[in-house]
Amino acid sequence: MLLTVVATTPELESLASSVGGDLVSVSHIVPAGQDAEAFQPRPQDLARIRAARAVIRVGVDYDLWLDRLLAQSRGVQVIDASTDVALLDVRAGGIGPGDGHAHGRGNPHYWLDPVNAEMITATILEAFIRMDPPNAKRFEANRLAFLSRLDSKLADWSHRLKNVPPLVAYHDTWSYFARRFRLRFIGIIETRPGVAPSPAHLTGLIETARKEKAGIVVREAHESQRDADFIAARSGAKVVTLASHGDDYLSLIDEDVRRLAK
Amino acid sequence: MIELLALPALACAALVAIHSYFGIHVLKRQVIFVDLALAQVAALGATAAFLLGHLPQSLAAHAYSLGFTLVAAAVLASTRTWSGRVPQEAQIGVIYVVSAAAALLLVERAPQGAEHIRQILTGNILTVGWDELRWAIPLYAVVGLVYPRIHVRQPWLAEFAFYAAFGVVVTSSVALAGVLLVFAFLIIPAAIGMLHANTFRSQLIVAWVTGTATALVGLAVSYLGDYATGATLVCTYGFALAIAAVAQALRMPQEKGAMAHVTLRFARWLGAALLAASGIGVAIWPRADQPLLDAMERAFPAIRSAYMDGKSQAIAEEAASFSERYRDEAAKLRAREEERRWKGEPLDEVEVRRIGSFLKSYNEMIRGEEFVMREVRSRAREQNRWWISGILVLLALSLVVSLPSKRTTPRNFGGERGSIGP
Repeated sequence: MLLTVVATTPELESLASSVGGDLVSVSHIVPAGQDAEAFQPRPQDLARIRAARAVIRVGVDYDLWLDRLLAQSRGVQVIDASTDVALLDVRAGGIGPGDGHAHGRGNPHYWLDPVNAEMITATILEAFIRMDPPNAKRFEANRLAFLSRLDSKLADWSHRLKNVPPLVAYHDTWSYFARRFRLRFIGIIETRPGVAPSPAHLTGLIETARKEKAGIVVREAHESQRDADFIAARSGAKVVTLASHGDDYLSLIDEDVRRLAK
Repeated sequence: MIELLALPALACAALVAIHSYFGIHVLKRQVIFVDLALAQVAALGATAAFLLGHLPQSLAAHAYSLGFTLVAAAVLASTRTWSGRVPQEAQIGVIYVVSAAAALLLVERAPQGAEHIRQILTGNILTVGWDELRWAIPLYAVVGLVYPRIHVRQPWLAEFAFYAAFGVVVTSSVALAGVLLVFAFLIIPAAIGMLHANTFRSQLIVAWVTGTATALVGLAVSYLGDYATGATLVCTYGFALAIAAVAQALRMPQEKGAMAHVTLRFARWLGAALLAASGIGVAIWPRADQPLLDAMERAFPAIRSAYMDGKSQAIAEEAASFSERYRDEAAKLRAREEERRWKGEPLDEVEVRRIGSFLKSYNEMIRGEEFVMREVRSRAREQNRWWISGILVLLALSLVVSLPSKRTTPRNFGGERGSIGP
């Protein structure tokens, strides 16, 4: 009998499918391209969670809307994919007035470091084996096959991103991606999520971008095109739209690398 | 600063010019929130266009927005005549919520759709571009010149012309400046104009001058204070309206001096009430938050040293210095980790975890020091609560007692009426 699992985001579904293969039926809640932090669940999402054996979540205060659904769904196992990941941007002071991501425990976009997929799939593997012990070996084999595909891609991605100029990001989404591929992000447009940048901040950012010769302003589809264009036009950079969510994990990173390296 | 704020200032001037005109009409018709409803209907139109395969900034998307807005204008024009039982504001509210909800339902059907509604409704005046203004300013000029010359006798057509012209303006301006700021541009300069002038022309001139001046002050405050521009402008407009209201009260010729007296009395009573409440609060709950006392201590640190002994002060100062030191250490650690993402040898996972754990420890230690500071202060307040409370209550009493006992003799406005006897 298939294990029924629901993931909050599409890339977590992709990673869970890589481990579960044909032994697990996985679906996701937040459609790719939507702001997963501001997602509003629908009635069918609750029905799917209630019918599932397990829910895989991003954690780190990223998918807080899930808590309300879980409160109404008893007996569903929760797999927090962030459990074994080394978190970046842990803020002394947690949620507070400081710059950067407003999440207390750390930056939640950890899946954008492909090496972290190793830890995420390890957490998922452990949970799957607990739920379905007889198929442990098949889960392990699936995971190793995925990691082997990931390894073969990793060197190529690093090579293609070798000469990317300094970048400006709209939001503090790319810390893990930057660390893995040695990218230099020199500033963030919207330092406090949901609060428009001030003129003084934009002036400082434009000066830094000019001085450091920033070549790219990175935004996601749901972030303001106009604000990104504003910085790009004044600093001589170009705007590149990346995605932090995608239906297939390897294709997601592949596409982001392709757009940056273009 | 000039380079960054020149276009926003020009945009503000253009928005004030057209919105003051419509604002006076809106205030007279008492349809205050009609701009929100029309903007939301325009967003619904753009979302429908997007769902049908048109790009967000395409001609078709604008045509859909305009079409939806004109339908809403027709509905508003029709309901004004039969809405004797239900205020038109209620109908405006219904149009707003239904179009907002309908747009959300449509967005769910469109991949990556939500951002289009958001971008339509949350313009940012700071990043407004010339490519937008070169269309918006001529549009405002045409509407501003043509609409006042339209004289229609048929009431429904007159209403429709108003809402249609206003809808066209609001659809464009909300995309430039966002809903909150457009509401401020629409209502506040017009309200100031109506407070200080009697004829439509003079009201418009007062609205234009004060509205533009307030926008320039708001932009400067936003830059110098490093605040978000839209929110700063809205607050500056609110402040300007408060000043205009006080100025209007003070300049009323028939009650010269009376309003100033009333304002002063009100301020004193308010101050006395706050001081007395704070004094009673310190006496009953010395460990609870005391916002007034805290504010006074921030402004005059000598107040704290008056009720805290030397030992307590030394403990609090040491805790503050440790807290500052931990913050510095945490900032250095974060900077080091961020730099190593792209420079020098990359940090391995163990080092990243160690830094994360140090940052968490610093976080706890900072909280600990803050607890010490609060606890020392609370204990000092608890030990000295009676005389702190007594001083605050005495200050409150002094404010009340110092009020002039002589009441201003009310003018005999009813003299003529008094002469009419049974």
